[in-house]
Amino acid sequence: MGINLLEALNVRVVGSGEKILVFAHGIGTDQSAWQRVLPFFLPHYRIILYDLVCAGSVNPDYFDFRRYTSLDAFVDDLLNILDALRVDRCYYVGHSVSAMIGILASIRRPDLFIKLILLGASPRFLNDKNYHGGFELAEIEKVFSAMEANYAAWVNGFAPLAVGADVPAAVQEFSRTLFNMRPDITLFVSKTVFNCDLRGVLGLVRVPCCIIQSAQDVSVPVSVAAYLKNHLGGRNTVEILHTEGHLPHLSGPTLLARVLQRALSR
Amino acid sequence: MPTPVGTARQCLTDEAARALDDAVAVARRRNHAQTTSLHAVSALLALPSSTLRDACSRARSSAYLPRLQFRALELSVGVSLDRLPTSKSVDEPPISNSLMAAIKRSQANQRRHPESFHMHQLQQQQQSSLSCVKVELKHFILSILDDPIVSRVFGEAGFGSADIKLSLLHPPSSSRFSRPRCPPLFLCNFTSGFDSDPTPLGFPFPFPGFSGSPNGDANSRRIAGILTKSERRNPLLVGICANEALRSFSDSVERNRDGVLPEELKGLKIIYLEKVLCEFLNGTGTEELMDLKFKEVGQILETCSGPGIVLGIGELKSLVDDGVSMDAVNRVVAKLTELLKFHWKKLWLIGAASGDDTYSKFLNRFPEIEKDWDLNLLPITSFMPSIEGFSSKPSLMGSFVPFGGFFTSPADFKIPLTCKSIAMTQPRCHLCNEKYEQEASAMRKGGAATSVADQHSEKLPSWLQMAELDTNKGLDTAKAKDDSTALNAKLIGLEKKWNDICLRLHQTQPCPLPVNSQLKSDNVCTDSRFVSNLKESNSRSSSLDESGYENQNLSLPVDTQNISPPRANGSISPLCGVKNADLHQKVSVSISLQLEANVPPLSRCTLPNLSVPLDNPSPSSVTSVTTDLGLGTLYAPICHEPKNSRLQDHSECVQNRPGSVSTEHDDASENSSYRRAKISSCCGLDSGGQLDPKDFKSLWGALTEKVGRQDEAICLISHTVTRCRMGNEKFRGAKPRRDVWLHFLGCDIVGKRKIAAALAEILFGSRENLIFIDLRTQGGISNPLSLVCRQDLNGYDARFRGKTVVDFIATELCKKPHSVVFLENIDSADLLAQSSLSQAIRTGKFPDSHRREISISDTIFVTTSTKNSLYRKEGTEYTEERILRAKNCQIKIIVESISGDTTRSGIDVNVLANRESEVNSTGPQEPSEFQERACKRSRKTFLDLNLPVQGIEEDCGYVSCESDSISENSEAWLEEFYEQVDEKVELKPFDFDSRAKKLMEKIMYSFRETMGSKCLLEVHPEVMGQLLAAAWLSDRMMAVEDWIDQVMCRSFVEARQKYGPAARTMIKLVACENLFVEEHAPGICLPARIVVN
Repeated sequence: MGINLLEALNVRVVGSGEKILVFAHGIGTDQSAWQRVLPFFLPHYRIILYDLVCAGSVNPDYFDFRRYTSLDAFVDDLLNILDALRVDRCYYVGHSVSAMIGILASIRRPDLFIKLILLGASPRFLNDKNYHGGFELAEIEKVFSAMEANYAAWVNGFAPLAVGADVPAAVQEFSRTLFNMRPDITLFVSKTVFNCDLRGVLGLVRVPCCIIQSAQDVSVPVSVAAYLKNHLGGRNTVEILHTEGHLPHLSGPTLLARVLQRALSR
Repeated sequence: MPTPVGTARQCLTDEAARALDDAVAVARRRNHAQTTSLHAVSALLALPSSTLRDACSRARSSAYLPRLQFRALELSVGVSLDRLPTSKSVDEPPISNSLMAAIKRSQANQRRHPESFHMHQLQQQQQSSLSCVKVELKHFILSILDDPIVSRVFGEAGFGSADIKLSLLHPPSSSRFSRPRCPPLFLCNFTSGFDSDPTPLGFPFPFPGFSGSPNGDANSRRIAGILTKSERRNPLLVGICANEALRSFSDSVERNRDGVLPEELKGLKIIYLEKVLCEFLNGTGTEELMDLKFKEVGQILETCSGPGIVLGIGELKSLVDDGVSMDAVNRVVAKLTELLKFHWKKLWLIGAASGDDTYSKFLNRFPEIEKDWDLNLLPITSFMPSIEGFSSKPSLMGSFVPFGGFFTSPADFKIPLTCKSIAMTQPRCHLCNEKYEQEASAMRKGGAATSVADQHSEKLPSWLQMAELDTNKGLDTAKAKDDSTALNAKLIGLEKKWNDICLRLHQTQPCPLPVNSQLKSDNVCTDSRFVSNLKESNSRSSSLDESGYENQNLSLPVDTQNISPPRANGSISPLCGVKNADLHQKVSVSISLQLEANVPPLSRCTLPNLSVPLDNPSPSSVTSVTTDLGLGTLYAPICHEPKNSRLQDHSECVQNRPGSVSTEHDDASENSSYRRAKISSCCGLDSGGQLDPKDFKSLWGALTEKVGRQDEAICLISHTVTRCRMGNEKFRGAKPRRDVWLHFLGCDIVGKRKIAAALAEILFGSRENLIFIDLRTQGGISNPLSLVCRQDLNGYDARFRGKTVVDFIATELCKKPHSVVFLENIDSADLLAQSSLSQAIRTGKFPDSHRREISISDTIFVTTSTKNSLYRKEGTEYTEERILRAKNCQIKIIVESISGDTTRSGIDVNVLANRESEVNSTGPQEPSEFQERACKRSRKTFLDLNLPVQGIEEDCGYVSCESDSISENSEAWLEEFYEQVDEKVELKPFDFDSRAKKLMEKIMYSFRETMGSKCLLEVHPEVMGQLLAAAWLSDRMMAVEDWIDQVMCRSFVEARQKYGPAARTMIKLVACENLFVEEHAPGICLPARIVVN
């Protein structure tokens, strides 16, 4: 059959630079989320864009409910893509769940990554004894049942919340991509992500990381950024974006692009 | 020249030829002269297990219930076949040219792609001297789908033939179970395509999608993957859940669970050193004991016949704890290293570290350990014990019940639906099976009853039912979306329950699945799950099944028969039967409860969409689809409006009209008779005699009355509408089309809106029947503060959310087939809207974004644009743009002394006024802010989720070069569109200047009356703009004049009382920029009072 992973996950390579830069989106968006950040990097990087298998733009048939039970399967996809493209060194920008994926990928293949840029990353969303992840289990269960009950309504309510900043275009864009996802896949992936706990493995990361975090983010408290900085194994920096929302690449692309540029150049 | 059937058959493989025979049979049965592609489609759909229907069910739109859509397809095919002329019955109706051409096309196609041949076919060809390629069924279907008639038929049922073709070409990944012949692409096996990389990436053994086993969690599979490697083969699990994962893995290995270990590692044993090591390290055990253990391991290894042994060293923490002596640790590590070196072929080591700090400490102490122990770090980030964990764990996953279907192997989908597979695989006894069948069939029926589809009382034809069943068993995890998924989930649950019950109660026949046995067949995975559940419940001596119907007392005695639980109690009580009955009741209750509770969330999600489809079951839209009545009179369409009340209203309004028109109209404007004369002279001439003069006149009269200006335009519009709705002009097939397309050019956007609204009211009985869309505000550009835009005409509201314009229109049209669709700023239409409109104006059917068509037989489309206006006069003071910017501000009177006179008091007044105005503008800041926010929110509702946001200004100079080409495209499209409209109507601009002059005169007059002639009046342009806007918007001629008389005069009086009729004062009428009108004067968009300072 003609379709391979690169096609299935809509892998695109754009830009004219030498250095390779991967943009990986989070749950609820697809690669189009980077659209407004992209122009800043096109002249300087060869940019790899792809969709997570759970994205609405990917044929839902490819989402194997037994395979994608943990982030490792997503990591496999990422590494497979990079190998297929014969990438040996790259910068990696991952948002939200893709930040987690990036962390895991860099543990598995430390040589592959020059630097990780983690946007709105969190090793664990649920609160714990000495850890504030931002969510209580009960809250999450409520969210999940809301999602199950009426996906459309949930999206309409959640999108403005996630975007945070009052940028209608961003809300619209996020709602669109979120709507594109099949509800059961969204739910499944969300559960996978909330079930996931990276805290025990952060120290295994050797690749330098830059943690970019919005000052106000419904999904990730700012304290998490500090936690990441202290626990990730490599050289780490933290950049706090003075903007709102979990999706700065939608709500404040220009600002984010500048910070990204700085992070990449260091 | 039709081709004889025999000739055509020669070109086909047996399978395809059979399909052709069926098609010929269909044609014969219908007495058709030829066999066409449509017959072939009909035959293909009627086959019990047809490729085409499979493909359809995969390609179908998720917006509909499968049943509805298949029904629509059946209707559509049936209707098209009915249209074909019948003739004398022929024994074998020959193959029509188009169908023969399709066969030829597929031959050619197949020749181009020789790799898609079957081997046997090639051999066949070599043997026979036939030079022609035999067409496979798949290719046959593909080229039939190319036939425009066929794709239209599919299109009418909401199927895209392109989608169907695609799904024919690319069977879904889950179909791998049914069709092993075409290997599905899968994300991991793609690498085989990259020839340079011989080592498979990531997945060293086929993962369960292929091995077909549902067991084993992802972590265990990864661990096993590391064990199969040739180097770095000893997994060290790191992560918070590492220990759980390790335990789960060793559990699976011990139990020999399928799917965890690959074939070459079958029979692997695990020896736990954890306890021994711990005891040694903390001093409770001796070194001899440890040595003994190690020796034992060595002995086992030497005699071991299987693949080998895994040493479980447990948590690494015990090796790096502070209290542990370095010496002891060193000795342990050295011993292990030695052992591993010696037996490297057959010995593995596995450990876990719950945190990376533990590991790094260990690494610090033994820097070479990674190499010595050949370790492979495996980050463990999540723990899901394995599939059965989902049902037993009352955690996050507990809430997954409605989605149960997704967590089972696809093989599960097969089980509940075919009795055969049940008989083969299920462990139930006959009685339970019967009960299960009953329940299941009830559930299937029940499931259907909840669906809207059943509002159709008719029974489905057999092939449709088959289709439904097919989608259910579909083997198509991914696509099984709506009710079928939920139903499957329910059925699986049900089956599990009956299995459960049976095993507990009736299991007298030999159970095929004793606990701990290896489960080989895919089909028994449910049972295996159940068995392990049962085992769990036994060993834990507490039975917490998720549905809570299990009763320990009841289950115990029965369990003894098979499982010999630890608390076996030999007496199978005679009460058992009674209890059984009891249990049955309970169970059935719990099941039925579950049935109710399980109203599937997915199908609930899809329900709202059901209002869209073509054959919406509500009566109004049914008529919209099926009736296309050629009623000649203007008001006839109302007759099939379902609401009687509206009908009455309307007929009343029709009856009343002539009188009311003449009376009101006459007082309203003195020159109405002149107007009429002029109008009849300007357009009555070319009516061609066909026009019913009464209709035209009443429409024209009513429009003139409601709009009050634009006489010529109204005349032209009335004429066009009457003419088009006579239905003598355009035809769709044999039926006359009665849709009207008007395009309003020029200025006076308010006038355009008024005309559209008036048309809706006059022709369709209510302003509700106006579907108003401003194609420009879609992007949220419009200024919501503007007085003009604040009109209630605005049709954009929450209903619009999440839809494209096209879908919005389509939905509205479904609801209100008799309406005026008013599309403002047609030049801003996006591509989707453009194509839909083009098709609608051409065919008389409006397609939505899913290509479903809605009849517009009784719809008036009004489009507007302001470009290319002939009337653009230069040098006017008040332009339309300016008035459009007028805001809905509070008006204020400021009293000042005349400038030039700098007496103290004058300044005081001035300052006071300013301060007051400041107070005024800061005080109510909140509401204004609130309003702004509200506006923002309202702008947010113009969501178009189907279009990506593009070209945002803040892209810092990266101007998208597409915009130019797009605008070029739309220019071309507009021109083409304008060509096709029934009439282009140019509206004259509203004469703001002369109106302003009149208003000013009126104001001055009132002012002089109250304040005397010595005071001066200054009216700020914003205020005048506001007055003009109000005049523009108002339905009554003299509304603003009345307002001046009532509101403004009252304020002048108030001002005079406050400041006295001082001679040297200046009265200023200003608009408060930040203060918006809270209370409007009745009937006009102006404040109810003017603030006097």
